[in-house]
Amino acid sequence: MSSATLFTDDPRNVPDSPALLQRLSGIQPVKLLVIGFAIVVLLALIAYPLALLIGYSLIDAQGNLTFDTFEKAFNRRGMWAATVNSTVLVGLVTAGACALGIPLAWIVARTDAPGKILVTLAAGISFVIPSFISVVSWIFLAAPNSGYLNKLAVEYLGFTQAPFNIMSFGGLVFIEIIGVYPLVFFAVSAALHNVDASNEQAARVLGAGRLRTTLTITLPLVRPAILSAIILVMLDALSSFGAPAAIGTMANFSVITTKIYDLLKFPPQFNYAAAVAMPIMVFTAVSLLIQKYAVRAENFRTLTGKATSAQITILGRWRWLAAGFGIVVVFATAVLPVGALLLLSVLSSFGTDVSLSNLVTKHYALIFDADFVARGSIINSLLLALATATVCAGLGLVLGWVVERVKFFGREAITFLVMIAYGFPSIAYAVGILMGYVNLFYGTLTLILIAYAGKLLPIAFVLVRNGIQQLSTDLEEAARISGAGWLRSVRDVTFPLVRGAVGIAWVLVFSLSLRELSMSAILSQADTQVMPTVVIQFIEDGAIELAAALSVVIVTVSLSILGLIRFFSRKKTAVVS
Amino acid sequence: MNFYSPAAHILPAVDAQPARLELRDLRKKLGDTAAVNGIDLRVAPGESVVLLGPSGCGKTTTLRMVAGFLQPEGGEIHLDGKLASSASFALPPEKRHLGMVFQTYAVWPHKTVADNVGYGLVVAGKKRAEIEREVAAVLDLVQLGDLAKRYPSELSGGQQQRVALARALATKPTLLLLDEPLSNLDASLRQEMRFELRALQKRIGITTLYVTHDQDEALVLADRVVVMNKGRIEQVGTPEQVYRTPASRFVGNFVGTANLLEGAIVTVDRAAGRVSVALDAGDIATARASAGWLATATPGQRATLLLRPEDIRFDRPEKPDQQTGLDVQFVSAAFLGSRYELQLTAKDTPLRVQSRTPGTFTDGRARLWFRPDSAWVVA
Repeated sequence: MSSATLFTDDPRNVPDSPALLQRLSGIQPVKLLVIGFAIVVLLALIAYPLALLIGYSLIDAQGNLTFDTFEKAFNRRGMWAATVNSTVLVGLVTAGACALGIPLAWIVARTDAPGKILVTLAAGISFVIPSFISVVSWIFLAAPNSGYLNKLAVEYLGFTQAPFNIMSFGGLVFIEIIGVYPLVFFAVSAALHNVDASNEQAARVLGAGRLRTTLTITLPLVRPAILSAIILVMLDALSSFGAPAAIGTMANFSVITTKIYDLLKFPPQFNYAAAVAMPIMVFTAVSLLIQKYAVRAENFRTLTGKATSAQITILGRWRWLAAGFGIVVVFATAVLPVGALLLLSVLSSFGTDVSLSNLVTKHYALIFDADFVARGSIINSLLLALATATVCAGLGLVLGWVVERVKFFGREAITFLVMIAYGFPSIAYAVGILMGYVNLFYGTLTLILIAYAGKLLPIAFVLVRNGIQQLSTDLEEAARISGAGWLRSVRDVTFPLVRGAVGIAWVLVFSLSLRELSMSAILSQADTQVMPTVVIQFIEDGAIELAAALSVVIVTVSLSILGLIRFFSRKKTAVVS
Repeated sequence: MNFYSPAAHILPAVDAQPARLELRDLRKKLGDTAAVNGIDLRVAPGESVVLLGPSGCGKTTTLRMVAGFLQPEGGEIHLDGKLASSASFALPPEKRHLGMVFQTYAVWPHKTVADNVGYGLVVAGKKRAEIEREVAAVLDLVQLGDLAKRYPSELSGGQQQRVALARALATKPTLLLLDEPLSNLDASLRQEMRFELRALQKRIGITTLYVTHDQDEALVLADRVVVMNKGRIEQVGTPEQVYRTPASRFVGNFVGTANLLEGAIVTVDRAAGRVSVALDAGDIATARASAGWLATATPGQRATLLLRPEDIRFDRPEKPDQQTGLDVQFVSAAFLGSRYELQLTAKDTPLRVQSRTPGTFTDGRARLWFRPDSAWVVA
């Protein structure tokens, strides 16, 4: 039946103001419900814990606004030393990551040096391996006396004492650098690829030499990318917890994040923990603002073109030096650590000679033993990863849609909240979650799920939102005009078209959940251990072989799940823009 | 082709029917500017109305309010006599029973042509056999019958355009909205599609609201053209009316090329609907004018005459509207195949003339004559 026949009533029967029934037909309850629910969850996940965190650090037991808490917290023993350590760590790691990442990016993007694919691959591997797992590898390689590189150096290279000591502040700096330099490398090489060749050609035509062109044209054009990467590296180094916890315990030093962790041990002192977390929060907020207003504004302007072969610098005999640099980095950041991890996981005990007779599988057997803590942690980790990925992908879809499609004052607030969670140091965020939900969910996986979901939501949000952004609004409007309600238009049109982005978001969140340590360390209890916390436990107990075996499990599952991205990236149908 | 018969039988005597679409004092702000600033319009059943105007004139905003994607801040939209939108009420788009063709086509890339076209029928809960039959019928209507199983990425722009049209027609809407549907096609295809759309619209008798900034498209497709500017309607009329008797300088300039000649009124002949004007460029010419303007016109008052380039000639007509002919100076000429395009000046007023002949100039000067009854006063 054509509904046109419904409309042939005598016009005199039509009231000027809409009747109640007609008014009701204008309401879209499902849409309001779904969006409202998603926003409530967002507030509960992010706004509530952050508000608590700020509140606790600024308000004393009597409920008065005070800065006393800061004073007392920072006057505690060792706190200033930890703050200085954190500052020095950030400085050195940032400098090191740039020193490694920028030249490598230039070599890979702009020269004819051999082995470029290996360098990119190594950076990818280095990026995927979390720093607390690097610690396991490097203990094997460079522990003060028993490290195998040290043994080699003493026995064959004539060193009188062990040259390397990973269990030191220097060792921590090294491990952090190889963990974060890929950020700089990928950002800068992408930017170099994107600089339009004509920008440089124009300078050459006007008489500038190659070096002058690089310094006055190319570098300024990729400066926004470098600055963005530096900000990310600084935030990463400041909020890092895994490696500082593992190495700091052994080498007896602290940084801010490990101090926060200590403050939450029994009896937990929430207000001090919150106060100590505050400088990290402020630094993060400032960095994100700089990123948003200074860096990004420049970024959009410059990166538009396509790279051409004309931009490749012929290195001549220098290319072998460049290749050598690349090979050293590939070995130090990927081959050695991964090899060490695999070897250690099957070595009968750390310190024995590496020979066929000493290779065993007993560590893996123990890891999967039903009565041992590790197996439970594997199951917990997988369950959490599954739940987190699903929650984040779903929330990301709804919130991404809201922000891209609904014009209302709150959309900026949603973006802001989500991005705050992104930049927010995990350890501080976990403190907020603990304060907000410990009474409800003490000792449950739900507590950890809340933390994971809040912290990883930004990744899903950004990916899905970008997907929706690329979809013309017309596609959904066409469904509405065809008679589909909101939910149906999302189900039939939006979701199938952003399925790839949602899938990638799911996979990434899953993989990142598996390796999450800082929040897990604070939130997990005896029954809710996850793989990373058990790895740290093994390291602290000296069961380094077990740590290696479990690390191999984490890396293997992460990498295989990430392999699914290829599946989701495959485009079945072209998108009409 | 009886595809559209259901729509045909709901066309009884027009007087008994409410307008298919009625806009009453419609208003909408986008940002700080009034995108739509008080629009009144009635579209009768079966009529094809084209909203024409430059970008930013509010035509697309108006269309999107009719579709239900935007809510007006003032005024009302009535569909078949029922309130669909006001400042306090908005019927969701899916309940308006409209068809719409988008500028980007918005053909869903993950569905086949048949699934795209049948979607509205599936949503309406029709039976499978019925859907297949109707999809086949509407695909035939747009001559895409053999492409039903293809995906949009395998189709050309013109074919995607037809899919979008078929999808909009499949649910037999009471009103078809088209938002610059031809602007993404290349020039020759665009010309062809204009006539095809017009023929289709007349054949199935569907009420149509069409948005474009292309005046040629508007003239081909419209029963009535609504010329919009800065959120307001400048003129509503048949294509001939808006072209020959534009209500304002804006309309004159926007619909076609306008030569504007200023002068002072010499005599007013209200009975004949004419005035004679002493042009600043020389010569005295008679021109038609609207009754409203004539009512207040007095000798000595200023007036502007509009003349289309094709209405200015080298040959003196038998009964000219001018006394001496317009004395012009040659500036430049271009040969455009079917005609010559001449740039001239009359005193300091620039003139554009289209002529079958290059004309004869003596010392770069010539006398030009207006086609009788073609000069029009635009106030």
